[in-house]
Amino acid sequence: MLDYFQTDWAAMTATDWVGTILTVVIFVLMVVAYFQVFRPKNRDKLESRKHIPFEEDEADIGENDGGK
Amino acid sequence: MEATADRIAEQKYSFDVVRWFTVMAVVYLVVGAAVGVYIASELAWPFLNFDSPYLSFGRLRPVHTNAVIFAFGGCTLMATAFYTVQRTCGVRLWSDKLAWFTFWGWNAIIVLAVITLPLGLTQSKEYAELEWPIDILIAVVWLAFTINFIMTIANRKTSHIYVSNWFFLGMMVMIVYLHVVNSLSIPVGLFKSYSLFSGVQDAMIQWWWGHNAVGFYLTAGFLGIMYYFVPKQANRPVYSYRLSVIHFWALMFGYVWLGAHHLHYTALPDWTGSLGAAVSLAMIIPSWGGAVNGMMTLSGAWDKLRTDYVLRFLIIALAFYAMSTFEGPVMSLKTVNALSHYTDWTIGHVHSGALGWVAGISIGAIYHLMTRLWHTSMWSESLVNVHFWTATIGTVIYVVAMWVSGIMQGLMWRAYDEYGTLAYTFVESVAAMHPYYAMRAVGGGIFLLGAIIMLFNILMTVRKAANQGTLREARAGVAPAAA
Repeated sequence: MLDYFQTDWAAMTATDWVGTILTVVIFVLMVVAYFQVFRPKNRDKLESRKHIPFEEDEADIGENDGGK
Repeated sequence: MEATADRIAEQKYSFDVVRWFTVMAVVYLVVGAAVGVYIASELAWPFLNFDSPYLSFGRLRPVHTNAVIFAFGGCTLMATAFYTVQRTCGVRLWSDKLAWFTFWGWNAIIVLAVITLPLGLTQSKEYAELEWPIDILIAVVWLAFTINFIMTIANRKTSHIYVSNWFFLGMMVMIVYLHVVNSLSIPVGLFKSYSLFSGVQDAMIQWWWGHNAVGFYLTAGFLGIMYYFVPKQANRPVYSYRLSVIHFWALMFGYVWLGAHHLHYTALPDWTGSLGAAVSLAMIIPSWGGAVNGMMTLSGAWDKLRTDYVLRFLIIALAFYAMSTFEGPVMSLKTVNALSHYTDWTIGHVHSGALGWVAGISIGAIYHLMTRLWHTSMWSESLVNVHFWTATIGTVIYVVAMWVSGIMQGLMWRAYDEYGTLAYTFVESVAAMHPYYAMRAVGGGIFLLGAIIMLFNILMTVRKAANQGTLREARAGVAPAAA
Protein backbone atom coordinates (compact mmCIF):
# COMPACT_ATOMS: atom_id res chain seq x y z
CA MET A 1 0.00 0.00 0.00
CA LEU A 2 2.81 2.43 0.89
CA ASP A 3 4.41 1.73 -2.48
CA TYR A 4 1.22 2.78 -4.16
CA PHE A 5 1.38 6.23 -2.59
CA GLN A 6 5.15 6.59 -3.02
CA THR A 7 5.99 9.84 -4.81
CA ASP A 8 9.26 10.98 -6.34
CA TRP A 9 9.09 14.57 -5.12
CA ALA A 10 12.36 15.47 -6.80
CA ALA A 11 10.86 14.61 -10.17
CA MET A 12 7.90 17.00 -9.76
CA THR A 13 7.85 19.64 -12.51
CA ALA A 14 6.46 23.17 -12.14
CA THR A 15 3.29 21.99 -13.89
CA ASP A 16 2.96 19.13 -11.41
CA TRP A 17 3.25 21.55 -8.50
CA VAL A 18 0.73 24.01 -9.94
CA GLY A 19 -1.73 21.16 -10.52
CA THR A 20 -1.18 19.68 -7.07
CA ILE A 21 -1.55 22.99 -5.24
CA LEU A 22 -4.66 23.95 -7.23
CA THR A 23 -6.23 20.57 -6.54
CA VAL A 24 -5.56 20.73 -2.81
CA VAL A 25 -6.81 24.34 -2.58
CA ILE A 26 -10.02 23.50 -4.48
CA PHE A 27 -10.53 20.42 -2.33
CA VAL A 28 -10.21 22.53 0.83
CA LEU A 29 -12.66 25.05 -0.65
CA MET A 30 -15.07 22.19 -1.30
CA VAL A 31 -14.86 21.16 2.35
CA VAL A 32 -15.50 24.78 3.38
CA ALA A 33 -18.51 24.89 1.02
CA TYR A 34 -19.96 21.71 2.55
CA PHE A 35 -19.41 23.11 6.05
CA GLN A 36 -21.08 26.40 5.24
CA VAL A 37 -24.03 24.84 3.43
CA PHE A 38 -24.82 22.31 6.12
CA ARG A 39 -24.20 24.64 9.07
CA PRO A 40 -27.58 24.89 10.87
CA LYS A 41 -27.09 28.64 11.27
CA ASN A 42 -27.16 29.12 7.48
CA ARG A 43 -30.15 26.89 6.83
CA ASP A 44 -32.95 29.46 6.79
CA LYS A 45 -30.98 32.02 4.85
CA LEU A 46 -30.05 29.54 2.12
CA GLU A 47 -33.45 27.88 1.92
CA SER A 48 -35.16 31.26 1.54
CA ARG A 49 -33.42 31.58 -1.87
CA LYS A 50 -35.53 28.80 -3.31
CA HIS A 51 -38.46 31.20 -3.71
CA ILE A 52 -36.64 33.52 -6.12
CA PRO A 53 -38.34 32.16 -9.30
CA PHE A 54 -41.72 32.92 -7.69
CA GLU A 55 -40.87 36.25 -6.08
CA GLU A 56 -40.29 37.75 -9.50
CA ASP A 57 -43.88 37.01 -10.58
CA GLU A 58 -45.27 38.47 -7.37
CA ALA A 59 -43.07 41.54 -7.69
CA ASP A 60 -44.29 42.16 -11.23
CA ILE A 61 -47.94 42.21 -10.25
CA GLY A 62 -47.27 44.12 -7.03
CA GLU A 63 -48.13 41.42 -4.51
CA ASN A 64 -45.07 41.99 -2.37
CA ASP A 65 -42.62 44.71 -1.49
CA GLY A 66 -40.34 43.76 -4.31
CA GLY A 67 -42.81 45.30 -6.71
CA LYS A 68 -42.60 48.76 -5.17
CA MET B 1 -51.51 35.44 -11.52
CA GLU B 2 -48.99 33.63 -13.73
CA ALA B 3 -50.55 34.82 -17.00
CA THR B 4 -50.58 38.41 -15.76
CA ALA B 5 -46.96 38.16 -14.65
CA ASP B 6 -46.02 36.76 -18.07
CA ARG B 7 -47.71 39.68 -19.82
CA ILE B 8 -45.95 42.18 -17.60
CA ALA B 9 -42.69 40.34 -18.22
CA GLU B 10 -43.28 40.73 -21.97
CA GLN B 11 -43.05 44.50 -21.52
CA LYS B 12 -40.09 44.33 -19.25
CA TYR B 13 -37.78 41.77 -20.80
CA SER B 14 -36.23 40.86 -24.12
CA PHE B 15 -38.09 37.75 -25.28
CA ASP B 16 -37.97 37.96 -29.10
CA VAL B 17 -34.57 36.33 -29.30
CA VAL B 18 -35.74 33.67 -26.82
CA ARG B 19 -38.72 32.90 -29.07
CA TRP B 20 -36.45 32.42 -32.09
CA PHE B 21 -34.04 30.20 -30.21
CA THR B 22 -36.99 28.15 -28.92
CA VAL B 23 -38.48 27.46 -32.34
CA MET B 24 -35.09 26.78 -33.92
CA ALA B 25 -34.28 24.30 -31.15
CA VAL B 26 -37.29 22.21 -32.16
CA VAL B 27 -36.43 22.47 -35.86
CA TYR B 28 -32.93 21.19 -35.09
CA LEU B 29 -34.32 18.43 -32.89
CA VAL B 30 -36.21 17.11 -35.90
CA VAL B 31 -33.23 17.53 -38.26
CA GLY B 32 -30.74 15.98 -35.84
CA ALA B 33 -32.99 13.05 -34.95
CA ALA B 34 -33.80 12.46 -38.65
CA VAL B 35 -30.10 12.24 -39.55
CA GLY B 36 -29.64 9.96 -36.53
CA VAL B 37 -32.38 7.61 -37.68
CA TYR B 38 -30.94 7.61 -41.18
CA ILE B 39 -27.43 6.64 -40.10
CA ALA B 40 -28.84 4.08 -37.65
CA SER B 41 -30.70 2.60 -40.63
CA GLU B 42 -27.47 2.60 -42.64
CA LEU B 43 -25.91 0.33 -40.04
CA ALA B 44 -28.87 -2.03 -40.24
CA TRP B 45 -29.29 -1.82 -44.03
CA PRO B 46 -25.98 -0.69 -45.55
CA PHE B 47 -27.42 -0.19 -49.07
CA LEU B 48 -28.71 3.14 -47.73
CA ASN B 49 -25.19 4.49 -48.26
CA PHE B 50 -26.05 4.52 -51.98
CA ASP B 51 -22.28 4.37 -52.54
CA SER B 52 -22.11 8.11 -51.99
CA PRO B 53 -19.32 9.45 -49.78
CA TYR B 54 -21.58 12.35 -48.76
CA LEU B 55 -24.14 9.93 -47.34
CA SER B 56 -21.66 7.57 -45.69
CA PHE B 57 -21.98 6.86 -41.97
CA GLY B 58 -18.55 8.38 -41.25
CA ARG B 59 -19.55 11.76 -42.66
CA LEU B 60 -23.15 11.89 -41.52
CA ARG B 61 -22.47 10.75 -37.96
CA PRO B 62 -20.81 14.08 -36.99
CA VAL B 63 -23.68 15.89 -38.73
CA HIS B 64 -26.03 14.02 -36.38
CA THR B 65 -23.98 14.67 -33.23
CA ASN B 66 -23.38 18.33 -34.07
CA ALA B 67 -27.06 18.84 -34.93
CA VAL B 68 -28.40 17.34 -31.74
CA ILE B 69 -25.72 18.56 -29.32
CA PHE B 70 -24.84 21.99 -30.64
CA ALA B 71 -27.82 22.94 -32.78
CA PHE B 72 -30.72 21.53 -30.71
CA GLY B 73 -28.91 21.55 -27.36
CA GLY B 74 -27.25 24.92 -27.99
CA CYS B 75 -30.44 26.69 -29.07
CA THR B 76 -32.26 25.21 -26.07
CA LEU B 77 -29.54 26.37 -23.68
CA MET B 78 -29.44 29.84 -25.18
CA ALA B 79 -33.23 30.20 -25.12
CA THR B 80 -33.54 29.01 -21.52
CA ALA B 81 -30.45 30.86 -20.24
CA PHE B 82 -31.60 34.17 -21.74
CA TYR B 83 -35.12 33.59 -20.40
CA THR B 84 -34.27 32.51 -16.86
CA VAL B 85 -31.51 35.05 -16.28
CA GLN B 86 -33.95 37.87 -17.00
CA ARG B 87 -36.75 36.43 -14.91
CA THR B 88 -34.62 35.51 -11.91
CA CYS B 89 -32.54 38.68 -11.94
CA GLY B 90 -35.48 41.00 -12.63
CA VAL B 91 -33.68 42.86 -15.42
CA ARG B 92 -33.69 42.95 -19.20
CA LEU B 93 -30.80 41.37 -21.12
CA TRP B 94 -27.71 43.55 -20.98
CA SER B 95 -27.54 43.81 -24.78
CA ASP B 96 -30.23 42.90 -27.30
CA LYS B 97 -27.74 43.37 -30.13
CA LEU B 98 -25.33 40.89 -28.60
CA ALA B 99 -28.20 38.44 -28.09
CA TRP B 100 -29.15 38.69 -31.77
CA PHE B 101 -25.49 38.35 -32.74
CA THR B 102 -25.45 35.15 -30.67
CA PHE B 103 -28.57 33.89 -32.46
CA TRP B 104 -27.37 34.56 -36.01
CA GLY B 105 -23.79 33.56 -35.23
CA TRP B 106 -24.83 30.23 -33.70
CA ASN B 107 -27.12 29.45 -36.62
CA ALA B 108 -24.38 30.38 -39.10
CA ILE B 109 -22.09 27.89 -37.33
CA ILE B 110 -24.76 25.20 -37.68
CA VAL B 111 -25.16 25.90 -41.41
CA LEU B 112 -21.38 25.77 -41.87
CA ALA B 113 -21.30 22.43 -40.04
CA VAL B 114 -24.03 21.00 -42.26
CA ILE B 115 -22.04 22.05 -45.35
CA THR B 116 -18.49 21.11 -44.31
CA LEU B 117 -19.02 17.81 -42.51
CA PRO B 118 -20.62 15.88 -45.40
CA LEU B 119 -17.78 17.21 -47.59
CA GLY B 120 -15.37 15.44 -45.25
CA LEU B 121 -13.83 18.64 -43.89
CA THR B 122 -13.08 17.62 -40.32
CA GLN B 123 -10.42 17.68 -37.62
CA SER B 124 -11.47 14.10 -36.69
CA LYS B 125 -11.81 15.06 -33.02
CA GLU B 126 -15.00 13.65 -31.58
CA TYR B 127 -17.62 16.32 -30.76
CA ALA B 128 -15.09 18.90 -32.01
CA GLU B 129 -14.94 17.99 -35.68
CA LEU B 130 -15.35 21.44 -37.19
CA GLU B 131 -12.32 23.01 -38.86
CA TRP B 132 -10.37 25.89 -37.36
CA PRO B 133 -12.16 28.91 -38.94
CA ILE B 134 -15.48 27.60 -37.57
CA ASP B 135 -13.83 26.90 -34.21
CA ILE B 136 -12.83 30.56 -33.99
CA LEU B 137 -16.39 31.60 -34.84
CA ILE B 138 -17.71 29.25 -32.11
CA ALA B 139 -15.38 30.88 -29.55
CA VAL B 140 -16.49 34.40 -30.57
CA VAL B 141 -20.22 33.61 -30.49
CA TRP B 142 -19.97 31.65 -27.24
CA LEU B 143 -18.08 34.55 -25.63
CA ALA B 144 -20.81 36.96 -26.79
CA PHE B 145 -23.39 34.66 -25.16
CA THR B 146 -21.33 34.45 -21.96
CA ILE B 147 -20.59 38.18 -21.69
CA ASN B 148 -24.25 39.07 -22.20
CA PHE B 149 -25.27 36.57 -19.51
CA ILE B 150 -22.64 37.78 -17.03
CA MET B 151 -23.47 41.45 -17.58
CA THR B 152 -27.18 40.74 -17.12
CA ILE B 153 -26.38 39.10 -13.79
CA ALA B 154 -24.16 42.05 -12.89
CA ASN B 155 -27.13 44.39 -13.46
CA ARG B 156 -29.55 42.26 -11.43
CA LYS B 157 -32.06 43.70 -9.00
CA THR B 158 -31.98 40.72 -6.65
CA SER B 159 -29.28 40.36 -4.04
CA HIS B 160 -28.76 36.64 -4.59
CA ILE B 161 -27.97 34.85 -7.86
CA TYR B 162 -30.45 31.99 -8.21
CA VAL B 163 -28.85 28.56 -8.53
CA SER B 164 -29.97 27.94 -12.14
CA ASN B 165 -27.77 30.87 -13.17
CA TRP B 166 -24.80 29.34 -11.37
CA PHE B 167 -25.16 26.19 -13.44
CA PHE B 168 -25.49 28.17 -16.68
CA LEU B 169 -22.50 30.29 -15.77
CA GLY B 170 -20.39 27.27 -14.79
CA MET B 171 -21.14 25.76 -18.19
CA MET B 172 -20.28 28.95 -20.06
CA VAL B 173 -16.95 29.53 -18.35
CA MET B 174 -15.83 25.91 -18.65
CA ILE B 175 -16.87 25.56 -22.29
CA VAL B 176 -14.78 28.61 -23.24
CA TYR B 177 -11.77 27.03 -21.54
CA LEU B 178 -12.38 23.52 -22.89
CA HIS B 179 -13.22 24.56 -26.45
CA VAL B 180 -10.23 26.87 -26.82
CA VAL B 181 -7.68 24.40 -25.43
CA ASN B 182 -9.04 21.37 -27.28
CA SER B 183 -9.24 23.29 -30.57
CA LEU B 184 -5.64 24.55 -30.50
CA SER B 185 -4.28 23.54 -33.87
CA ILE B 186 -1.90 24.53 -36.64
CA PRO B 187 -3.77 25.51 -39.82
CA VAL B 188 -2.18 24.35 -43.07
CA GLY B 189 -4.98 25.71 -45.24
CA LEU B 190 -8.42 27.23 -44.96
CA PHE B 191 -10.02 23.81 -44.46
CA LYS B 192 -7.21 21.78 -42.94
CA SER B 193 -5.39 21.90 -39.62
CA TYR B 194 -3.50 19.61 -37.30
CA SER B 195 -3.93 19.44 -33.55
CA LEU B 196 -1.27 21.12 -31.46
CA PHE B 197 -1.13 17.97 -29.37
CA SER B 198 0.01 14.54 -30.46
CA GLY B 199 -0.12 10.94 -29.34
CA VAL B 200 -1.46 10.19 -25.89
CA GLN B 201 -1.51 13.89 -24.95
CA ASP B 202 -3.86 14.49 -27.87
CA ALA B 203 -6.07 11.63 -26.71
CA MET B 204 -6.10 12.97 -23.14
CA ILE B 205 -6.97 16.52 -24.26
CA GLN B 206 -9.64 15.11 -26.59
CA TRP B 207 -11.34 13.19 -23.80
CA TRP B 208 -10.81 15.96 -21.26
CA TRP B 209 -12.91 17.98 -23.71
CA GLY B 210 -15.18 15.08 -24.68
CA HIS B 211 -16.29 14.13 -21.21
CA ASN B 212 -16.53 17.71 -20.05
CA ALA B 213 -18.73 18.52 -23.04
CA VAL B 214 -20.97 15.92 -21.39
CA GLY B 215 -20.31 17.22 -17.88
CA PHE B 216 -20.58 20.94 -18.36
CA TYR B 217 -22.54 21.40 -21.57
CA LEU B 218 -24.96 18.46 -21.49
CA THR B 219 -25.20 18.21 -17.70
CA ALA B 220 -24.49 21.52 -15.94
CA GLY B 221 -26.30 23.60 -18.55
CA PHE B 222 -29.36 21.36 -18.53
CA LEU B 223 -29.32 21.25 -14.74
CA GLY B 224 -29.63 25.04 -14.95
CA ILE B 225 -32.79 24.36 -16.94
CA MET B 226 -33.96 21.80 -14.38
CA TYR B 227 -33.50 24.09 -11.37
CA TYR B 228 -35.70 26.78 -12.91
CA PHE B 229 -38.28 24.90 -14.96
CA VAL B 230 -39.12 22.01 -12.61
CA PRO B 231 -40.10 24.33 -9.74
CA LYS B 232 -41.93 26.69 -12.10
CA GLN B 233 -43.88 23.96 -13.85
CA ALA B 234 -44.68 22.23 -10.55
CA ASN B 235 -45.45 25.62 -9.01
CA ARG B 236 -43.42 24.66 -5.95
CA PRO B 237 -39.94 25.77 -4.87
CA VAL B 238 -37.09 23.34 -5.29
CA TYR B 239 -36.99 20.70 -2.53
CA SER B 240 -33.68 21.79 -0.98
CA TYR B 241 -31.74 24.86 -1.95
CA ARG B 242 -28.80 23.74 0.16
CA LEU B 243 -28.61 20.50 -1.78
CA SER B 244 -28.61 22.47 -5.03
CA VAL B 245 -25.60 24.49 -3.85
CA ILE B 246 -23.69 21.33 -2.96
CA HIS B 247 -24.79 19.76 -6.25
CA PHE B 248 -23.31 22.72 -8.11
CA TRP B 249 -19.92 22.83 -6.38
CA ALA B 250 -19.47 19.05 -6.35
CA LEU B 251 -20.23 18.95 -10.06
CA MET B 252 -17.81 21.77 -10.85
CA PHE B 253 -15.08 20.18 -8.76
CA GLY B 254 -15.61 16.59 -9.83
CA TYR B 255 -16.40 16.55 -13.52
CA VAL B 256 -13.05 17.83 -14.79
CA TRP B 257 -11.34 14.65 -13.59
CA LEU B 258 -13.43 12.13 -15.47
CA GLY B 259 -12.14 12.28 -19.05
CA ALA B 260 -9.33 9.81 -18.43
CA HIS B 261 -11.83 6.98 -17.86
CA HIS B 262 -12.35 6.97 -21.65
CA LEU B 263 -8.76 5.83 -22.10
CA HIS B 264 -8.45 2.65 -20.04
CA TYR B 265 -6.04 0.08 -21.48
CA THR B 266 -4.30 2.61 -23.71
CA ALA B 267 -0.91 4.35 -23.64
CA LEU B 268 -2.26 6.71 -20.97
CA PRO B 269 -0.64 6.01 -17.57
CA ASP B 270 -2.71 3.48 -15.66
CA TRP B 271 -3.14 5.71 -12.58
CA THR B 272 -4.72 8.47 -14.66
CA GLY B 273 -7.54 6.23 -15.85
CA SER B 274 -7.99 4.78 -12.36
CA LEU B 275 -8.22 8.28 -10.89
CA GLY B 276 -10.83 9.16 -13.52
CA ALA B 277 -12.81 6.05 -12.59
CA ALA B 278 -12.55 6.74 -8.83
CA VAL B 279 -13.83 10.29 -9.20
CA SER B 280 -16.53 9.01 -11.60
CA LEU B 281 -17.82 6.76 -8.82
CA ALA B 282 -17.73 9.63 -6.34
CA MET B 283 -19.82 11.69 -8.78
CA ILE B 284 -22.79 9.39 -8.26
CA ILE B 285 -23.39 11.16 -4.94
CA PRO B 286 -23.91 14.74 -6.20
CA SER B 287 -25.64 13.54 -9.36
CA TRP B 288 -28.18 11.51 -7.42
CA GLY B 289 -28.47 14.32 -4.89
CA GLY B 290 -29.47 16.63 -7.73
CA ALA B 291 -31.88 14.12 -9.27
CA VAL B 292 -33.55 13.50 -5.92
CA ASN B 293 -33.69 17.24 -5.31
CA GLY B 294 -35.52 17.74 -8.60
CA MET B 295 -37.92 14.85 -8.09
CA MET B 296 -38.66 15.66 -4.45
CA THR B 297 -39.74 19.12 -5.58
CA LEU B 298 -42.97 17.29 -6.38
CA SER B 299 -43.19 15.97 -2.82
CA GLY B 300 -46.81 16.21 -1.73
CA ALA B 301 -47.96 17.00 -5.26
CA TRP B 302 -47.27 13.83 -7.19
CA ASP B 303 -50.83 13.89 -8.48
CA LYS B 304 -49.77 16.68 -10.84
CA LEU B 305 -48.08 14.02 -12.97
CA ARG B 306 -51.50 12.61 -13.86
CA THR B 307 -52.56 15.76 -15.64
CA ASP B 308 -49.47 17.83 -16.38
CA TYR B 309 -47.82 16.37 -19.46
CA VAL B 310 -45.00 18.92 -19.43
CA LEU B 311 -44.12 17.99 -15.87
CA ARG B 312 -44.00 14.37 -16.96
CA PHE B 313 -41.24 15.21 -19.42
CA LEU B 314 -39.27 17.03 -16.74
CA ILE B 315 -39.58 14.27 -14.16
CA ILE B 316 -38.92 11.36 -16.51
CA ALA B 317 -35.83 13.30 -17.64
CA LEU B 318 -34.62 13.33 -14.03
CA ALA B 319 -35.17 9.57 -13.82
CA PHE B 320 -32.98 9.12 -16.91
CA TYR B 321 -30.43 11.54 -15.41
CA ALA B 322 -30.23 9.39 -12.28
CA MET B 323 -30.00 6.22 -14.35
CA SER B 324 -27.28 7.39 -16.71
CA THR B 325 -25.22 9.01 -13.95
CA PHE B 326 -25.17 5.63 -12.23
CA GLU B 327 -24.46 3.65 -15.40
CA GLY B 328 -21.59 5.94 -16.47
CA PRO B 329 -19.49 5.44 -13.32
CA VAL B 330 -20.13 1.69 -13.43
CA MET B 331 -18.90 1.60 -17.03
CA SER B 332 -15.81 3.58 -16.06
CA LEU B 333 -14.63 0.78 -13.74
CA LYS B 334 -11.78 -1.01 -15.42
CA THR B 335 -13.32 -4.47 -15.11
CA VAL B 336 -16.64 -3.35 -16.59
CA ASN B 337 -14.86 -1.18 -19.14
CA ALA B 338 -12.92 -4.21 -20.37
CA LEU B 339 -16.26 -5.57 -21.54
CA SER B 340 -18.10 -2.40 -22.48
CA HIS B 341 -15.47 -0.31 -24.25
CA TYR B 342 -15.76 -0.05 -28.04
CA THR B 343 -19.14 -1.80 -27.92
CA ASP B 344 -22.60 -0.38 -28.53
CA TRP B 345 -23.31 -0.49 -24.81
CA THR B 346 -21.59 2.92 -24.82
CA ILE B 347 -24.02 4.11 -27.49
CA GLY B 348 -26.91 2.89 -25.34
CA HIS B 349 -25.51 4.74 -22.32
CA VAL B 350 -25.00 7.95 -24.28
CA HIS B 351 -28.54 7.85 -25.64
CA SER B 352 -30.16 7.16 -22.28
CA GLY B 353 -28.51 10.42 -21.27
CA ALA B 354 -29.09 12.25 -24.55
CA LEU B 355 -32.66 11.18 -25.35
CA GLY B 356 -33.86 10.56 -21.82
CA TRP B 357 -32.18 13.35 -19.87
CA VAL B 358 -31.06 16.13 -22.23
CA ALA B 359 -33.90 15.91 -24.74
CA GLY B 360 -36.48 15.20 -22.01
CA ILE B 361 -35.61 18.21 -19.87
CA SER B 362 -35.28 20.40 -22.99
CA ILE B 363 -38.64 19.35 -24.38
CA GLY B 364 -40.32 19.98 -21.03
CA ALA B 365 -38.71 23.43 -20.79
CA ILE B 366 -39.65 24.29 -24.38
CA TYR B 367 -43.32 23.36 -23.84
CA HIS B 368 -43.24 25.49 -20.67
CA LEU B 369 -41.74 28.39 -22.61
CA MET B 370 -44.25 28.09 -25.47
CA THR B 371 -47.25 29.00 -23.35
CA ARG B 372 -45.44 31.83 -21.56
CA LEU B 373 -43.77 33.36 -24.58
CA TRP B 374 -46.79 33.23 -26.89
CA HIS B 375 -49.30 33.89 -24.08
CA THR B 376 -51.64 31.11 -25.08
CA SER B 377 -52.18 27.41 -24.36
CA MET B 378 -50.65 24.73 -26.56
CA TRP B 379 -52.55 24.12 -29.80
CA SER B 380 -53.08 20.52 -28.67
CA GLU B 381 -52.50 19.21 -25.13
CA SER B 382 -53.24 15.70 -26.41
CA LEU B 383 -50.36 15.89 -28.85
CA VAL B 384 -48.03 16.81 -25.97
CA ASN B 385 -49.15 13.60 -24.31
CA VAL B 386 -48.65 11.61 -27.53
CA HIS B 387 -45.20 13.15 -27.78
CA PHE B 388 -44.41 12.14 -24.21
CA TRP B 389 -45.21 8.50 -24.90
CA THR B 390 -43.47 8.34 -28.30
CA ALA B 391 -40.34 9.96 -26.82
CA THR B 392 -40.31 7.63 -23.81
CA ILE B 393 -41.10 4.41 -25.68
CA GLY B 394 -38.70 5.30 -28.51
CA THR B 395 -35.90 6.00 -26.02
CA VAL B 396 -36.49 2.76 -24.11
CA ILE B 397 -36.50 0.64 -27.29
CA TYR B 398 -33.34 2.36 -28.50
CA VAL B 399 -31.49 2.01 -25.22
CA VAL B 400 -32.52 -1.60 -24.54
CA ALA B 401 -31.44 -2.63 -28.05
CA MET B 402 -28.02 -1.11 -27.51
CA TRP B 403 -27.60 -2.47 -23.98
CA VAL B 404 -28.39 -6.03 -25.02
CA SER B 405 -26.41 -5.93 -28.25
CA GLY B 406 -23.48 -4.11 -26.68
CA ILE B 407 -23.03 -6.68 -23.94
CA MET B 408 -23.45 -9.47 -26.50
CA GLN B 409 -20.84 -7.80 -28.71
CA GLY B 410 -18.36 -7.52 -25.83
CA LEU B 411 -18.89 -11.13 -24.79
CA MET B 412 -18.45 -12.37 -28.38
CA TRP B 413 -15.23 -10.42 -28.84
CA ARG B 414 -13.58 -11.90 -25.79
CA ALA B 415 -14.90 -15.48 -25.96
CA TYR B 416 -12.21 -18.11 -26.31
CA ASP B 417 -12.49 -21.77 -27.20
CA GLU B 418 -10.70 -24.61 -25.43
CA TYR B 419 -7.59 -24.05 -27.60
CA GLY B 420 -7.30 -20.41 -26.59
CA THR B 421 -8.35 -19.02 -29.95
CA LEU B 422 -11.18 -16.55 -30.46
CA ALA B 423 -14.58 -18.25 -30.55
CA TYR B 424 -16.06 -15.75 -33.02
CA THR B 425 -14.75 -13.74 -35.92
CA PHE B 426 -15.44 -10.01 -35.91
CA VAL B 427 -17.78 -10.48 -38.89
CA GLU B 428 -19.87 -12.93 -36.87
CA SER B 429 -20.33 -10.30 -34.17
CA VAL B 430 -21.39 -7.78 -36.83
CA ALA B 431 -23.96 -10.24 -38.25
CA ALA B 432 -25.30 -10.92 -34.74
CA MET B 433 -25.86 -7.18 -34.30
CA HIS B 434 -28.26 -6.85 -37.25
CA PRO B 435 -31.59 -7.41 -35.44
CA TYR B 436 -30.54 -4.98 -32.70
CA TYR B 437 -29.47 -2.35 -35.22
CA ALA B 438 -32.91 -2.68 -36.83
CA MET B 439 -34.54 -2.41 -33.39
CA ARG B 440 -32.47 0.70 -32.63
CA ALA B 441 -33.56 2.30 -35.92
CA VAL B 442 -37.20 1.58 -34.99
CA GLY B 443 -36.73 3.10 -31.50
CA GLY B 444 -35.06 6.15 -32.99
CA GLY B 445 -37.83 6.38 -35.59
CA ILE B 446 -40.47 6.46 -32.85
CA PHE B 447 -38.53 9.19 -31.05
CA LEU B 448 -38.27 11.12 -34.33
CA LEU B 449 -42.02 10.80 -34.86
CA GLY B 450 -42.53 12.43 -31.45
CA ALA B 451 -40.17 15.27 -32.41
CA ILE B 452 -42.11 15.87 -35.63
CA ILE B 453 -45.36 15.93 -33.64
CA MET B 454 -43.77 18.48 -31.30
CA LEU B 455 -42.65 20.71 -34.18
CA PHE B 456 -46.14 20.57 -35.70
CA ASN B 457 -47.77 21.37 -32.36
CA ILE B 458 -45.39 24.24 -31.74
CA LEU B 459 -45.85 25.79 -35.17
CA MET B 460 -49.62 25.50 -34.75
CA THR B 461 -49.34 27.18 -31.34
CA VAL B 462 -47.38 30.06 -32.87
CA ARG B 463 -50.08 30.35 -35.55
CA LYS B 464 -52.80 30.20 -32.92
CA ALA B 465 -51.14 33.02 -30.97
CA ALA B 466 -50.90 35.06 -34.18
CA ASN B 467 -54.58 34.45 -35.01
CA GLN B 468 -55.73 35.26 -31.49
CA GLY B 469 -53.36 38.19 -31.24
CA THR B 470 -52.20 37.15 -27.77
CA LEU B 471 -48.55 38.02 -28.37
CA ARG B 472 -49.47 41.30 -30.02
CA GLU B 473 -51.65 42.22 -27.04
CA ALA B 474 -48.97 41.26 -24.54
CA ARG B 475 -46.41 43.36 -26.40
CA ALA B 476 -48.80 46.29 -26.45
CA GLY B 477 -49.53 45.85 -22.77
CA VAL B 478 -53.21 45.06 -23.30
CA ALA B 479 -54.77 43.08 -20.43
CA PRO B 480 -56.12 39.65 -21.42
CA ALA B 481 -59.87 39.72 -22.14
CA ALA B 482 -60.74 36.62 -20.08
CA ALA B 483 -58.59 37.66 -17.12
